[in-house]
Amino acid sequence: MKRILYTFLFTLVFLCNTIGAQTADSTSLMRSDGKLYVVVGVIVMIFVGIVLFLIYLERKLTSLENQIKTNE
Amino acid sequence: MILKHWWKILSVLVLLYTFTVGMLVPLNSGIESVSPFKAKTGEVLELMVEGYNAHYLETKTGITAWLKLDSVYVLPAKNISVVSNTKLKATFDIPEFLPSEKKVQDATLIVNNEVDGSSLLPSAVFITQGAINETAGKNLAKKAESMQLYQRKGMTFPYRNLLAETIRNTYFHVPLWFGMMIILLISMIYGIRFLLTKETDYDLKSVAYTRVGLLFGILGIFTGALWAKYTWGAYWSWDVKQNMSAVALLIYMAYFVLRSSLDDQEQKARISAIYNIFAFLSLIPLLFIIPRLTDSLHPGNGGNPGLGKDDIDNTMRMVFYPAIIAWTLFGAWMALISYRIDRLSLWFFDDYLEEN
Repeated sequence: MKRILYTFLFTLVFLCNTIGAQTADSTSLMRSDGKLYVVVGVIVMIFVGIVLFLIYLERKLTSLENQIKTNE
Repeated sequence: MILKHWWKILSVLVLLYTFTVGMLVPLNSGIESVSPFKAKTGEVLELMVEGYNAHYLETKTGITAWLKLDSVYVLPAKNISVVSNTKLKATFDIPEFLPSEKKVQDATLIVNNEVDGSSLLPSAVFITQGAINETAGKNLAKKAESMQLYQRKGMTFPYRNLLAETIRNTYFHVPLWFGMMIILLISMIYGIRFLLTKETDYDLKSVAYTRVGLLFGILGIFTGALWAKYTWGAYWSWDVKQNMSAVALLIYMAYFVLRSSLDDQEQKARISAIYNIFAFLSLIPLLFIIPRLTDSLHPGNGGNPGLGKDDIDNTMRMVFYPAIIAWTLFGAWMALISYRIDRLSLWFFDDYLEEN
């Protein structure tokens, strides 16, 4: 449980840094094109969050399946 | 089979619609910036104008521009020279007097052509008057009704200076929060139903919906912080809306800590259902009331654009409202899968305990 939580938090923070990273240059990628890529970043973030939830469910199900198998 | 899962399919289809229409419809043309932004009466003003999503080179009937002083009076540009599709120079003869008693008058810039329609930048130029003679000023300025403004053809989303393309966030960040409210409301209702009937099923559903609600809230705060970095300058500004949202999420995280601290299934369900009620009720002052009482940077509070009639128009509503429904249904789907896993685990352990 702790491992899942830490992996989740680490991934989110990592993503924040990579997606949100910008150079000191004012025409960085995120600010170009009317800041469209900020919206792209938002969508990517949402998708990753849903995928992480999916992984959480997957792990729960797998451990349940294993418990059932060992108790048969 | 399709009939049973119709709402899941609907949620995915509407989400796809949100993504495509939300991203593909172009923004209206606008004015990004002007330079210089100060002028004096009796002088010639050469204004460099930077447009957004503009097509200054493609206009056939020519570009017109005005400095709008108030609802009645405008100053027309005497000459426009186009530099590129998005850059032009407008020359204004600022008259000796303005139709105003104010020392410094702020003027809205209007740029107009038949391809882009009319774009405006409020408070684009500040004109300082030397001597003040309001009546003379009224004679020197032109009337606003003399402006012939075009409308841009085709569906567009509004252009707002600070936001630009990030206005599309209205379809992603905002519906997450609205969806979260509905999902947490559902979780509270299931909690109450558990308290009334003591059926474990309701408790499991309540937890599952709270789980998804918390996920949406976390995504909402993170996406908000990403947007804030490029709009307010920092990921976290200790803005009241940001702070209150974080407090709300902490309250819901405590819900899970509470659950894991109790061992007895029935006690766990009962106490967490009661906590859920208070947690949900706390959302209303935290997210909606307190931010509106103070100055907040966040759209919708402190005089910033939000869902008012000036800030979301009917083209946006066409994507915004379906998006809320889609995210809610999608969240419900995620919650039900989580609930079914929990229920399976309970069935198994119940059986297992019975056999031993």
